[in-house]
Amino acid sequence: MVQLFEDYKDHADFLTIYVREAHPTDEWQMKSNIKDGVCYAQPRNLSDRLAIANDFTKRFKYPVPFGVDDMNNAANDAYAAWPERLYIIDENGKIAYRGGMGPFNYYPKEVRAWLASRYGEMKHPEAKPEDKKPDQKST
Amino acid sequence: MKQIFMWVGISLGVLLVTAFIVLSKMAGGPKDALYMVRYALPHMRGGNLRPGDTAPDARLFALNGADTFHIRERTAGRPLVLIFGSFT
Repeated sequence: MVQLFEDYKDHADFLTIYVREAHPTDEWQMKSNIKDGVCYAQPRNLSDRLAIANDFTKRFKYPVPFGVDDMNNAANDAYAAWPERLYIIDENGKIAYRGGMGPFNYYPKEVRAWLASRYGEMKHPEAKPEDKKPDQKST
Repeated sequence: MKQIFMWVGISLGVLLVTAFIVLSKMAGGPKDALYMVRYALPHMRGGNLRPGDTAPDARLFALNGADTFHIRERTAGRPLVLIFGSFT
């Protein structure tokens, strides 16, 4: 997604929305997260959620604009976003693209195709294929 | 009649075992399948939004925790790509 952002940020706006954790230590923890040292309990308050979001952006030097969902999960509920999902909103405030529920139906390449159909292919020569999700799997 | 109940019971049992095996394959193992049912399925939503619908608004917090903004504020003039996710 970072590559997509870099490729199209002159044409479209991007916003990452951090929602409730998918695999926290006190729920369904994944072995891969233990291996990667990504071990967090499900946040019970906003400061915990903000702390994890800040850890994420700092660890990956994440350049995409970022917002954090509130503890009522308003954005998550409005967009049926959990655990991960992609959308495109057009200039008129309408849903232009609705991605499938991640991780099984999470396809950044569909977002790239939508943007490419509008603005042309912008893929950097060194860009890696985005058919598969990056290691930082949730965003 | 007794035989019908027996076969219905066997069929349901086979279906349940098959579903659990498929879920285990998807999730990564039997324990993951149980956790998936316990922790993931209750939060999974297909959602009702479709292309052409008005995009819902929501208030978000900036990373500093002090500032807030609305998704709507980011939709002026250009398409907006929303990337929902978490760290884990």
